[in-house]
Amino acid sequence: MNGTVALDVREVSKTYATVRAVDNLSFRVHQGEIFGLLGPNGAGKTTTIRMALDIIKPNAGEISVLGGPMTEEKKSRIGYLPEERGLYDDMTLLDTLLFLGQLKGLSRQTARQRAETYLREVELWDAHDRKIEALSQGMNQKAQFVAGTMHEPELLIVDEPFSGLDPVNTRIIKDLLLRMRDQGTAIVMSTHQMHRVEEMCERILLIDRGKQVLYGPLDDVRTRFATNTVAVDLTGPLDEVPGVERLTPHNGGYHMTLKEGVQPEVLLRTLVNMPEVTVQRFERVQASLEDIFVQVVGREVAWDDEVEPT
Amino acid sequence: MRRAWLVATTTYRQRVRSGTFLLLTFGIPVLMVIAGAIPFIMERRAELPRVGYVDETDQFAPLEAITVDDEMLHLVSYAEVGAAAQAFAGGDIDGYLVIPKDYFEGGRPAFHGERSPGRDLRIGLSQFMREALLPEAPGWQRARLGNPSEVMFASTATGERVAPGPGLIFRIATPAFLALVFVFTVMTTTDQMGSAVVQEKEQRAMEMVITSLSPRELVTGKVLGMTLLTLTQIGVWLLGAAAGLTLALFGALRLEDLTIPWFAVLWAVLLGIPGYFLYAVLAAGLGIIAGDKQQARQLAGMLGFLGMSPLFFMGLIIDNLDGVLGVGLTLFPMTAPVIALFRMLLTEVPTWQLGAGLAVLIATLAASIWFVARVFRAAMLMYGQALRPRDILRALRQS
Repeated sequence: MNGTVALDVREVSKTYATVRAVDNLSFRVHQGEIFGLLGPNGAGKTTTIRMALDIIKPNAGEISVLGGPMTEEKKSRIGYLPEERGLYDDMTLLDTLLFLGQLKGLSRQTARQRAETYLREVELWDAHDRKIEALSQGMNQKAQFVAGTMHEPELLIVDEPFSGLDPVNTRIIKDLLLRMRDQGTAIVMSTHQMHRVEEMCERILLIDRGKQVLYGPLDDVRTRFATNTVAVDLTGPLDEVPGVERLTPHNGGYHMTLKEGVQPEVLLRTLVNMPEVTVQRFERVQASLEDIFVQVVGREVAWDDEVEPT
Repeated sequence: MRRAWLVATTTYRQRVRSGTFLLLTFGIPVLMVIAGAIPFIMERRAELPRVGYVDETDQFAPLEAITVDDEMLHLVSYAEVGAAAQAFAGGDIDGYLVIPKDYFEGGRPAFHGERSPGRDLRIGLSQFMREALLPEAPGWQRARLGNPSEVMFASTATGERVAPGPGLIFRIATPAFLALVFVFTVMTTTDQMGSAVVQEKEQRAMEMVITSLSPRELVTGKVLGMTLLTLTQIGVWLLGAAAGLTLALFGALRLEDLTIPWFAVLWAVLLGIPGYFLYAVLAAGLGIIAGDKQQARQLAGMLGFLGMSPLFFMGLIIDNLDGVLGVGLTLFPMTAPVIALFRMLLTEVPTWQLGAGLAVLIATLAASIWFVARVFRAAMLMYGQALRPRDILRALRQS
């Protein structure tokens, strides 16, 4: 990540009739980072993305894209993979990519070269002359990813990029996203797959009912919401451990929930000093983002595919 | 504009290759040409028949044969109709001509046969009667008497020269023909345009495309693409119709006789182009408002009906060509192209009316593009949903 701000959303709100879909939301995305935009059903993620892309207008606030307001010229420097997938059914894959690539400002020749390169990379070149309607869901998904990235954008917004993909194709798309990040692309990834965010994102924005819930570096968020549980692998007899409120066997080891006021260092010292016990692993159990969210908003939420008001 | 043109050419290429388009576009002209060629081919293949005749005036010189276009027409004279009929029944002749007693008072000769005489036989019978009436006259005189008094009108006001016959019909019919082509084109376009736009929504491609270009560029591109498609279709059909007509009227229509009413053609272009785009843009707007292809076709059908509506007023307008209805519909943008051309057919339409109609049409087109681009923005992501009137109002307010 470098310091250049690719997307700057400031105090943005959007209301549909009587529904406040986005409420005073602010965040920044920098070049060379993958930024996680998270939230449950109807949280306002897609509305936020659509406002950032100038598809819909906010009622209040300002959005700066690549250094200023959105212009027609800037559209060629932005890539987008919408959650609502769709390409022209009766066009061939290559023709579709040539059309969308040229719309993004590529020459026909460059679009042709890039289409071939990217299709080979996602293992779709063999299907380049097939009609879109003849592609499987996974192939269609990869085709759409190529369409959104073949012009090598400076800002890429991907909405649920892994939905409908098998593990092999998930790996292909994930590697491509990481490579783009390393090359300096600012990536906004909206997803409900928390483990993907934990794997790939440096910073996150968690929203609920249009409002900001958590915002900042993922490590900071985790530290703020660190649990009082440690994971321990050890050998030797273990009946009762001072300072531990609950002892739960877990994957061949234990999860130990500490009593209030007991620090993990104290427990480690205690374990090390116990005769006949050898500590092989000792680490603080990090709260999952889902747990953190529940902790913050105080309720359980549905994290499946969201449906936004339009 | 580059991106709008890219949308236009892609839309064109995508649709021009479809089987339905190719079948419809080239199938109809082929049928037209075949229909036009059938009588021509049959005529060319048939030999001149052996014909009898009964001269009840006793004024025609007896002839046994004449030469028509290097072919012999054999003639057999009969004293009375009964004898000719008997010879026809016995198969001696292929038909017989009866020249009635009152021929010189206006009575019409009658040809009796199984089928109506073809073009060559008609020419032959006409030539026979001239030769039999004036057997001593030189050939050039008899030939000229075949068409002695066709008058060409030379206007002292405009210098225009108008020949009678098919050429004159062509001149009179041109505005009506252009108006009908306009109506047909509008109906075809509105139907196809609605489907093309709603397809963007149905196939969920809109959200991706719209992040690459503005709604106005997308609408412009779609309209241009569908215009090119319609022009291709109409062009092929017109060529087919022209070929079929030429074959059907082979020999009757001489190019030098054709008089093109340039004034009407000029106004057909001036009013027709913005008029066409007005319908195309509105059809695009209806396409984006519609929830699915079926609804798009219904809405497009209503718009196409509006395009055809001037034809329903023709009776009222003909009764009073310069009345309020005629002038009003000439100024109304949705009807101006058709009504102006039809009025030109029958009366002299003041230039100010045509100019005012054009100005209103262009202003309406500009307003429509503005309106449709805004509705487009509001409706483009409403997959599978139609836009309600209050949504349209909100979209306009927010813009």
